[in-house]
Amino acid sequence: MSAKNVPENFGPGRLRGLNSYIWVLPLIMFFFAWEATVRLGMLSQSKIPLFSKVVSAFLLGLTSESFVFFVFQSFINLTFGILLAVLAALPLALFAGLKVKFDSAFTPAIMLVGALPDLALLPILVMWIGPGNVAAVTMAAVCAFFPLFFTLREGTKSIPEEFFHVSTVFRSGKIDMLHKMIFPAILPNMISGLRISFDFVWEVVLAIELIASVSGIGTFINSSIGSGSLESAFAGIMAIGIIALSVDRIVLATLESRIRRWQG
Amino acid sequence: MNRQMEVLSVTKHFHPTKASFLAIKDVTFHVNEGQFICIVGPSGCGKSTLLKMIAGLEKPSSGEIRFEGNPVTSPHHKISMVFQSFALFPWRTVIENVEYGLELKKLHKKDRGKVARECLEIVGLSGYEKMYPKQLSGGMKQRVGIARALAVDPEVILMDEAFSAVDEFTAETLREEVSEIHMETKKTFILVTHNVAEAIELSDKIIVLSARPGSVKDIIDVELNRPRDKNHSGFIHIHKRLFSLLKEELESTIVRHKIKEIHEFHRLHNIE
Repeated sequence: MSAKNVPENFGPGRLRGLNSYIWVLPLIMFFFAWEATVRLGMLSQSKIPLFSKVVSAFLLGLTSESFVFFVFQSFINLTFGILLAVLAALPLALFAGLKVKFDSAFTPAIMLVGALPDLALLPILVMWIGPGNVAAVTMAAVCAFFPLFFTLREGTKSIPEEFFHVSTVFRSGKIDMLHKMIFPAILPNMISGLRISFDFVWEVVLAIELIASVSGIGTFINSSIGSGSLESAFAGIMAIGIIALSVDRIVLATLESRIRRWQG
Repeated sequence: MNRQMEVLSVTKHFHPTKASFLAIKDVTFHVNEGQFICIVGPSGCGKSTLLKMIAGLEKPSSGEIRFEGNPVTSPHHKISMVFQSFALFPWRTVIENVEYGLELKKLHKKDRGKVARECLEIVGLSGYEKMYPKQLSGGMKQRVGIARALAVDPEVILMDEAFSAVDEFTAETLREEVSEIHMETKKTFILVTHNVAEAIELSDKIIVLSARPGSVKDIIDVELNRPRDKNHSGFIHIHKRLFSLLKEELESTIVRHKIKEIHEFHRLHNIE
């Protein structure tokens, strides 16, 4: 037997060279259409600024300390929130996924709290903790917790029983079982959980910052609209877009390419 | 010959809900060192449960399983296992899967690689080290499963329906290879199967279990020369005997089911 006739680039989803940047194309088309429709007067400039003006406002913003600070502040708060959520969701999800009794006792309660509207609960949280960055981080953690918990629990539950038999027969200890079997098995769920919670906390960034009374990119966008500076507001949105894209391309896509090698 | 493995009046109850469910009833047999044993029985007779108890994955409700004189209560380092649906970790390459047991034994990376390559050589998979399970056929996956079981250098290899998830032609080749491995390594093999011909082809001794609850119906010694010819009169003779034993069991279950159904029907319609 030989492995010669198996193509090197085996498996789906492997893009090479130029193809791996193909996602840039629709973005360029979108920006071009934006610029053109506003320039041609099909959309009013009082409602949507020119794309080029937004870009220059964004570039100007990069030179302004406060703009960069706002972006940075929001990014730190939300990222810390997500990390906290992972720390809380992972052990709970493992318990729920592995221990049927724990699952049937606690998961309905967690599901119930998760179904409550987050934005209505957040002010109560601030009332307890007091306004500030701690509150913002806590709120982001609360928002990120539920998608993480449910995707990780699902992943743990769907580990085939035989994998546990394999680990046990080869005399795996508890810690080895976690990091040689369970963690790799639920990595795909971790990635999708992170993706969902990341999207979600950035969607509610303004609410979080307003409720926690901290300044960040959300409040920056809000106050820019208030003061009639549409370009700045759009520049703020653009900053969020760039962050989202970078995290997606750099962190999550790297993790994904690792699991794509083995996923069927 | 010494009695390497002893199964002593083992009984296994399960308690899924309220009703207790008897899976295995008073099973006793022994396995000598280097023997190839098959456990056959109709589906649902608890033969896989029995194997799990031998592997230390389940505990008997009563009775005892002894390996080299000591009771088996948890997986033993000299006993390894091959699984029906291969149970390879998809995130590990072929060689990493084979190295798994050695990794848990904290073997040095270099030695792990060496042992794993040797085992892959035995099962004819040299050159496939860096592939992922999804790139392999069923037969190749099971070869990896066998290599993984061999890698930890066990004295006993347990096989749970190891040939039933691949096509018949592949299964035949795998059986021949396993038989060769058995003859060369002199390790003890215990195979659970429902395939009568497979049992006769491979084993020195066949434990025939009855339908649920599984108990020993018969123990047949197979003293035919290897490699075994399916057309040999001795083979056919044992085949007939085994087949009629299992058929009896199957029929008795069907009859029991029928009677149960009739009772159920009567109860539902209040017929006395």
